[in-house]
Amino acid sequence: MGSVHSIKLAGKPSVQSRERTPLRQVSSKLAAGLALSAFATFDSALAMVAPDGRILMTNPAFDQLFGDISAEDLPTQLQIESWQQAESAERIVPFPNGRSFKIKIMALPEGYFVCAGDITDQLAQAARDARLVRTDRLTELGNQRLLRERLQDLLESSPAVRNDCALLTVDLDRFKAVNDALGRNIGDALLCLVSKRIRSAVSGVDVVTRLYGDQFGIIQIGRPQPEAATILAKRLGDLLSRPYMLEGQLIDVTARVGIAPLAQAATDVDQVMKNADLALNRARQDQSKDYCVFESGMDETVKARRALETDLRRALALREFSLVYQPQFDLLTRRVTGFEALLRWNSPTRGMVSPLDFIPLAEETGIINPIGEWVLRTACRDAANWPADITVAVNISAVQFAHRTLATTVLSALSDIDLDPRRLELEITESVMLDARGTALGVLQRLRSTGVRVSLDDFGTGYSSLGYLRSFPFDKIKIDQSFVRGTLEDPGNRAIVRAIASLGQNLGMATVAEGVETAEHMERVAADGCTHVQGYLISRPIPPEQVAGFLAGNGAQKAACRDDPFLVA
Amino acid sequence: MPARPYRCVYWSRQRIDGTPEQVATEIESILTAARRNNAQLGITGALAVGRGIFAQLLEGPRQAVETAFENIQRDERHGDVQVLAFGPAEQRAFPGWPMAYVEPSQIGSQPAASTSTAAVGSTHLEARRLLDIIDSLAVEPQPRRD
Repeated sequence: MGSVHSIKLAGKPSVQSRERTPLRQVSSKLAAGLALSAFATFDSALAMVAPDGRILMTNPAFDQLFGDISAEDLPTQLQIESWQQAESAERIVPFPNGRSFKIKIMALPEGYFVCAGDITDQLAQAARDARLVRTDRLTELGNQRLLRERLQDLLESSPAVRNDCALLTVDLDRFKAVNDALGRNIGDALLCLVSKRIRSAVSGVDVVTRLYGDQFGIIQIGRPQPEAATILAKRLGDLLSRPYMLEGQLIDVTARVGIAPLAQAATDVDQVMKNADLALNRARQDQSKDYCVFESGMDETVKARRALETDLRRALALREFSLVYQPQFDLLTRRVTGFEALLRWNSPTRGMVSPLDFIPLAEETGIINPIGEWVLRTACRDAANWPADITVAVNISAVQFAHRTLATTVLSALSDIDLDPRRLELEITESVMLDARGTALGVLQRLRSTGVRVSLDDFGTGYSSLGYLRSFPFDKIKIDQSFVRGTLEDPGNRAIVRAIASLGQNLGMATVAEGVETAEHMERVAADGCTHVQGYLISRPIPPEQVAGFLAGNGAQKAACRDDPFLVA
Repeated sequence: MPARPYRCVYWSRQRIDGTPEQVATEIESILTAARRNNAQLGITGALAVGRGIFAQLLEGPRQAVETAFENIQRDERHGDVQVLAFGPAEQRAFPGWPMAYVEPSQIGSQPAASTSTAAVGSTHLEARRLLDIIDSLAVEPQPRRD
């Protein structure tokens, strides 16, 4: 500091500013005096430190901040040694007295200029804020952000640490029902009780968070996996499913748990969370267990289903569906009276896909509605080319009944194609009748009043409630093939066939024995009182272009020329 | 209590492992904790133990009963909790008992907490009922535990 022209020289004067506004020249003495008084009155803690670390000069603010620390201890506590090489530096230095200081240091030609501030309260506030943004306000558990950050840390840690961790996701069956029935306040209070029960079941190091709604996420840390997570899941399933008492209400919910051990996962938080969700979904589907551990196959199963769904959505537009028809034979008149339309899917990439593989997915996703409408219209159009006394039977899924437009769809198909409603037969299963509000019954009654016939399919396999037979005047009961094929071995089956046939006779309903494959089957079901048969003995399902030839008397056996791998009836 | 007390009656399966002495010690500790907590909450009631079953009656202000019940639910020394009754009662059945202990000896089961000082006899109406609950449950097959 040889030539002090200005107090600004203590800092770093810029060349430009000097050019623009020339600084007033002052004497060295005056400059030194001004600098000193500024130093003394400045409200930040300032000090001059010798190159060897000795504190040469301090201002009153500095003395106030560090006055209770001895001159010997202070350089050590300020960690001045660690700055030796630095041109300038800024550090947060925790002191033994519990306070934290921000220390700024600038190298001078000889020694250092130090500026210090107590930021303990600032840090505490920042920590509170950090906690707050990672806390779920309702339950005071952590939130999704906390879970993701902790997962990220654990995924980046050593395999030994990571392998002993698992993510558990928990959700409650029927929580929405509680919310709807008892109100949000009780729903929220329930979530708080659930949180406390979860906390009581986990260990102190575990991370417990609420992700959203009634879904919770727990990271179990430092336990052998997946054994420990399985034990915890069982405990949670037990504890969380015990009754709750709130505002005078007794509440029952069931908890389900999905487990994703971190050892199995990719180093990606999203993947771990997805794995736990997949396991949770599996636990929801499997009613026998309230938890499930993720396995790599699950992801593939879900992917395969999604691929099937994509193909299924396209199949209709790409005209990959077709119908085949299986004749129904009247045992009394010894002639074919109608055909049941059966759906076939010939996928260019998958080949023939069994209805057993795609109908459940179509029902679940609602794709059954457009497919069902296509089946209905196609079957009616085909039947319009048949002799006027031949009927066509179309299967209608329970899902289609949930769709309001079913009756309109059926009636418009009939009128567009100008088919006599009496030639259309709707085959429904008992599941259709299970809808509590009776909308399906109303639709059936409306359709039947126009002449459309209704038959009850797969009778004897489900609930087989006789109440259904009373609640709706079915035209036909179709006896499931398992009873028909079994008649030879099992006298019980035969008794059932006989009972259903006699029931049909008394109620004025025709009875169709399905799955009749041999002459012996046919003889027996005829003797047991069935009015119609359907099955390989009469014919396999045939493509529409063969129906005319079949009816023209080519004979049942000759028509059975086309192998059909998915014979349903 | 100015308002009508709420009453909750439940039974559950005991899940304490150990010798009869260890079980008795555990039950004694349950009673001690219950009496301490219930006195603070203004709750009275009774606990009957026998044949692997707890039958308990809790009564007091509704929120206090709910709090006590929730604490009990978090206890893993029992399970398969079944609530038999919950609602307002005319009056307390066990006034002055933070948690009465109903002797199981009358129903011929394993002795437990026999040294308990606050035991009521089976002549008490509600105590008799708790014993009846245990009696009737003990002849039923054990529900599935997994």
